[in-house]
Amino acid sequence: MHPSADERADNRLRLPRWMTSEHPLPWLFPCISLLLVFGLYPILYSLWLTMYKRNPATRMETFDPAWNWSRLWADERVWDALQVTLTYTFVAIILQLTLGMLIALLLDTDRKGFGILRALMTLPLVVPPAVTGMMFLLMYDGSFGVISHALYDLGIISKDDPLLATGSTALLAVIIVDVWQWTPFMVLIMLAGLRALPKDPFEAAAIDGATDVQAFFKLTLPMMSKIIALAVLIRGIDLFRVFDYVKVMTDSGPGTATETLTAYTGTIYFKSANFPFASTVAIFTLLVVLIVANVFIKVFKVRF
Amino acid sequence: MSFRTHDKQRFIIDSANDFTNRRISKRDFLRKLGMAGVGMSAFAAGSLGGFRSFGNMAMADAHGETPEDVANFLREAGKPFAGTTIRYTSESTPPTVVLNQLKSEFTELTGINVEIEIVPLEQVLAKATQDVQGQLGTYDLYYLDQAWTATFSRDTIDPREYYADKPDLAMPGFDFDDFSEPLVEGISLYQDKWIGLPFDIPIFTLMYRKDILEKHGIAVPQTYEDFTQAVELITAAEQENGIYGTGLQAKSGHYSLECDWSQAVWGHGGSIFDSDKMFSGNDAAGIEGLEWYMNLLANAPANSVAATWDGQWQMGASGQIALCQSWAEFFPGWNADDSAVKGLWEMTTPLKGPSTLRGRDAVGFGEIPNWGHQGGSSIALSRYSSNIDAAWLFLQWACSKDIMTRCTLAGGFAPMRTSSYNDPRILERKNLEGSGTTRHLGTVLETINNYMASEPDMAIWAGLANNEIPTELGKLLTGQDYDGNPKACMDQIAKLVDQQVAEAELR
Repeated sequence: MHPSADERADNRLRLPRWMTSEHPLPWLFPCISLLLVFGLYPILYSLWLTMYKRNPATRMETFDPAWNWSRLWADERVWDALQVTLTYTFVAIILQLTLGMLIALLLDTDRKGFGILRALMTLPLVVPPAVTGMMFLLMYDGSFGVISHALYDLGIISKDDPLLATGSTALLAVIIVDVWQWTPFMVLIMLAGLRALPKDPFEAAAIDGATDVQAFFKLTLPMMSKIIALAVLIRGIDLFRVFDYVKVMTDSGPGTATETLTAYTGTIYFKSANFPFASTVAIFTLLVVLIVANVFIKVFKVRF
Repeated sequence: MSFRTHDKQRFIIDSANDFTNRRISKRDFLRKLGMAGVGMSAFAAGSLGGFRSFGNMAMADAHGETPEDVANFLREAGKPFAGTTIRYTSESTPPTVVLNQLKSEFTELTGINVEIEIVPLEQVLAKATQDVQGQLGTYDLYYLDQAWTATFSRDTIDPREYYADKPDLAMPGFDFDDFSEPLVEGISLYQDKWIGLPFDIPIFTLMYRKDILEKHGIAVPQTYEDFTQAVELITAAEQENGIYGTGLQAKSGHYSLECDWSQAVWGHGGSIFDSDKMFSGNDAAGIEGLEWYMNLLANAPANSVAATWDGQWQMGASGQIALCQSWAEFFPGWNADDSAVKGLWEMTTPLKGPSTLRGRDAVGFGEIPNWGHQGGSSIALSRYSSNIDAAWLFLQWACSKDIMTRCTLAGGFAPMRTSSYNDPRILERKNLEGSGTTRHLGTVLETINNYMASEPDMAIWAGLANNEIPTELGKLLTGQDYDGNPKACMDQIAKLVDQQVAEAELR
């Protein structure tokens, strides 16, 4: 004899009230713990480190909260690195956004075969950035790199100015790698946005005789503005902390032409072993990201 | 220092083809890929310059026999540590790569497993730095470049003391006196303490393409003036054929550039520090050296400003350059069977004069101005290791007379032990042209004994040599800053260096 519905309900595991969905905290506890351990603790520890002056010879650390910040203020490389970081972020985001939108518009169709194209578009995203950097390092090589040789043959660059060792080209060469890898991310977001747009306004515009270009600027862009802002915010924060490509391809050079804030932090940490000062630059980077991101969120009214 | 990138790629492709066509087993295929995966350094090539033949040669030597008394000692002494795993991180230098292949012999005798992580030099520094900072003991042994000797001196155990303190673990016939005295002084000694055992000695010598010098009727350069004239003449005559007078390792921000620069400064009678421990690269001799170096850049492949020792090695092996004052360990690879210029390179002692060397009493921090820059390294026993005894056994084995000689035979680099230079197996190959040659070792030994220069011994040198100095030099050489004015660049470096020396209270 089968149990009745009431009996089944009675037999169901009864959880204590504090473990039900009305009280999510216990369920979130593991996640919150991880965030505290791997997110908050390192930040607090870095903050604590910034308050100490380190003697690299004796490895003695003395409490001096202003020392590292005054040093940061006086360090020209920090401001150069900030400038490079901002340039890198700005140029890369413009290129990725523009290309991402254009490719998304091309792929936003249900024609046969475009599904595969959309899938192929995502391939660069699965390659680790360090590997991508190595790959392009070889292709940019002044002696045997395929990209360098193509550019020599086209007369765009001279053999006397290797791409990654010339101040005027190194940063752009690294940005192009970033664009190659991360434009597909923009394509995915833009495609999702385009597909979510209502059809009616476009049909009405078509009846009224609007061209595709007019429809794009008058309808698509305004309706996509929130998605675009969100994409810019996500990629912008990511770009601001770029490290892999710079480390692998130029190691901040030539000179400091491609030295970003994170790359400089790595240099201070790994080459000079000045952990307090490296922490100070890292915290400074975090502050810059927080301020810029918040201003961006306010100005463009980004909603999550 | 790594075998050439394109050689590595070709090796991987060939291996994959061999495997898919069933010419080699899966095991061999994996082994070969493993070997390819470690090629991060210049040696690389060196020994791997004939990579395929090197593989065979190394394996043949791997089957050599450990002397009976040493083998018996290791079997007995290793018993209590059987099953222990010791860890060691190193740059891919010739002895490390060969040692990595020979280590199974040690494991068979002692039961002690050895893990060797082979990574680029800057990563070795980063790993060691983190390990000592946290006193973690992640690594039982450190590979320490000579520029880091003072930095890590307090984190290591003096091997001579340990040898005396632990007679049960003292290898018979180890013979500390057999280590070349200049090498010990220049590489492993800091304030009377051996921070480790000397393990590797890349040293600057003069290498030249005899065919090109003969073609243009140029005598082998003896002085910096001779060298400059030869380089300029060859560049002018051969540039259209893709051959330059010389090639440099002038990558901005890289230690290799600091090595090139310090050689140029010493060679022109200058020094890095003066006797008051102030930076002196900006004095007249220092500027002269830097100007000379800048002139060389105009006579070198453009890629020199993007090249470390790997890139410079490639220039030599591909026949792009005719003269080069750089690491002697390039030589075997440039003469290897598959080198584009096999048998055409010759070696002699580094350039001398016309400037006079600065005396050792006129410089600071134990710097040794001389004609041949050394870039040696030690293996050091970590004070924080929890397997010190097992690591000590491995360290003695790795630096024993037999293993050092066999590493030399397999890798073609220069040994640290005096006895190795007279070993019959080494002498047998002294006239050999092609892979496995030892015909350069006589010059190397002469340079070590008479002309070896060494960088300052100071706790912050690792940072200065890897960061401030090569970064500012890079700005100058690539035109990013200083408008081509070497004095302005050197003054800025002086400001940065002196400030750090003062902050570290080293003066």
